[in-house]
Amino acid sequence: MPREMNPSKAEKPTRQAFSERMVEYGSIDAEFMVMEADIGGSTFTNKWGAAFPERYFNMGIAEGNMVSAAAGMAADGRTVVASSYGVFLTMRAVESVRTMVCYPNLNVKFLSSHGGVTAAIDGVTHQATEDIGMVTTLPNMQVQQPCDTVSARKLLDLALTTPGPVFTRLMRDPLFEVYSEDTEFRMGGSHVLRQGSDITIATYGDIVFQALEAAAELDKQGVSAEVIDMYCVKPFDTEALVKSLSKTGALLVAENHQRRNGLGYELAAFCLREMPVPFDNLGLRDTFAESGNYYKVLEKYGISANWIVTTAQEVLAKKG
Amino acid sequence: MTSLLSDKPLHERVAYLQEKAKEVRLRIIEMIHKANSGHPGGSLSAADMVTALYFDFLRLDPEKPRWADRDRFILSKGHACPVLYATLAMRGYFPLETLDTLRQFESILQGHPIHKTPGVDMTTGSLGHGLSIGLGMALEGKLRKADFRVFVLLGDGEINEGHVWEAAMAASKFGTDNLVAMVDRNRLQMDGFCDEIMPMGDIGAKFRAFGWETLAMDGHDMRDVVLTIEKALLVKGKPTVIVAETTKGRGVSYMQDVCGWHGRCPNEDEFTCAMDEIRSNACLEK
Repeated sequence: MPREMNPSKAEKPTRQAFSERMVEYGSIDAEFMVMEADIGGSTFTNKWGAAFPERYFNMGIAEGNMVSAAAGMAADGRTVVASSYGVFLTMRAVESVRTMVCYPNLNVKFLSSHGGVTAAIDGVTHQATEDIGMVTTLPNMQVQQPCDTVSARKLLDLALTTPGPVFTRLMRDPLFEVYSEDTEFRMGGSHVLRQGSDITIATYGDIVFQALEAAAELDKQGVSAEVIDMYCVKPFDTEALVKSLSKTGALLVAENHQRRNGLGYELAAFCLREMPVPFDNLGLRDTFAESGNYYKVLEKYGISANWIVTTAQEVLAKKG
Repeated sequence: MTSLLSDKPLHERVAYLQEKAKEVRLRIIEMIHKANSGHPGGSLSAADMVTALYFDFLRLDPEKPRWADRDRFILSKGHACPVLYATLAMRGYFPLETLDTLRQFESILQGHPIHKTPGVDMTTGSLGHGLSIGLGMALEGKLRKADFRVFVLLGDGEINEGHVWEAAMAASKFGTDNLVAMVDRNRLQMDGFCDEIMPMGDIGAKFRAFGWETLAMDGHDMRDVVLTIEKALLVKGKPTVIVAETTKGRGVSYMQDVCGWHGRCPNEDEFTCAMDEIRSNACLEK
């Protein structure tokens, strides 16, 4: 089995790394503004508020108004960061996101924390487990998720320098470090984190680490797994996927999201069109999760390294 | 400068705007008749206010629709877009003939206003968003230390949406005195009278409780409209709402105060009658 993960060795949450970089970036780019909905202490946007009070708008607990007001502020070109939890941005405020931001293609950048079940101790009300499906469906929206501190910092820069709406999904819980400081990131990009020849494991966010753990275990079992971090969920890196699948001929997608309408379904549809391969995907199986320890919740709901190992073997069995 | 016509005596301004409003009403009816679809009732109730804004108050340049320092106008009750399209065409944003393409395939005049149409500052039509949009624009004006003003026209049914009141509290917090909201109080919404569907009571008192300056006017008395908007532009330190008492379908006898004319197109006889009544001011004397 994969080696025991020690949460005490985890670094910082991506929500913190992203917001800290935003404060640094505030001195590089003096034009962008930040709006939030009274969770600055949790998203660390309160650090922005302290550093740039004149560029900080706390809109209160009213996410719909926040996003439409951000659209109004951005209507003539201004870049505005709108911050909240994923559940509220993609459910409560989704019409503002769709009609007022994505349709006019405005420079509103969503800082969306508590993606997936990493808000585990907060329970289902605070776990954004349908958010990727919601936002990847919206025309003009670009969607990305970092898996560690380095990528969180780089994706902040990318969100602010890429035209149009960008949704960055962040995590509540601390994550393990994956990338070195000199790694480059681009919109539409991905990174192969481990080379392999038997099966491709495509993933993003916190499940990157689970996939790397799983790949190490699979190696012991004689399976060579390739792990791709699809940090840009939309548009995803088709070139990298085709290249990897040409080599491995099998695909497993794992994500901290509903199994339906996430990256798994997206890549499955692509493969059916372009290059059918044995496939499976891991995520919540048409169910809500629950409160509790993050790692225990991942295990119970089928998104852990253990599940990746088992399911990878099942996919490989279909290769024949 | 508070007004494009401020060098003229008030009675001349009013007479000029009344003639423009009549033309706007005629074009609304023509446009909807031609399209065989659209929302006449709420377009006619807003016609005098929108005319006053576009032909007197708004500082804009039809040659440069995205001029950074232009005044903004958000038609939050976006279904009333015939009144906006007529006015924009008459101000020269696009040819008058374009009005004949309302709601047609590939027309720039979509069923509800969109940001791509010259002169339209933001997509609207999903009710309840306009005040938030206007708030964002007003904040942007403050950030840029620009002196443009933002006007938002709301429906009295539309303000059922809780989103409007989220914007109301935020505009008060940020003291956006460059923001003027106008409520078209025609007392009808789609399914019936507002008091039956969702009574909003004293709208001015509600905004006042949220910290807004509150004014009232007769939305069809052009003199009152002009003077009240002038008053609103003098308010400092807080946003202003003008509650405009209006009549849905104003100018066409069989539409006035009748619920069914929210989104219905007149037939041939009704069209002829409506045009005659508007041309002869038949309803305005009552």
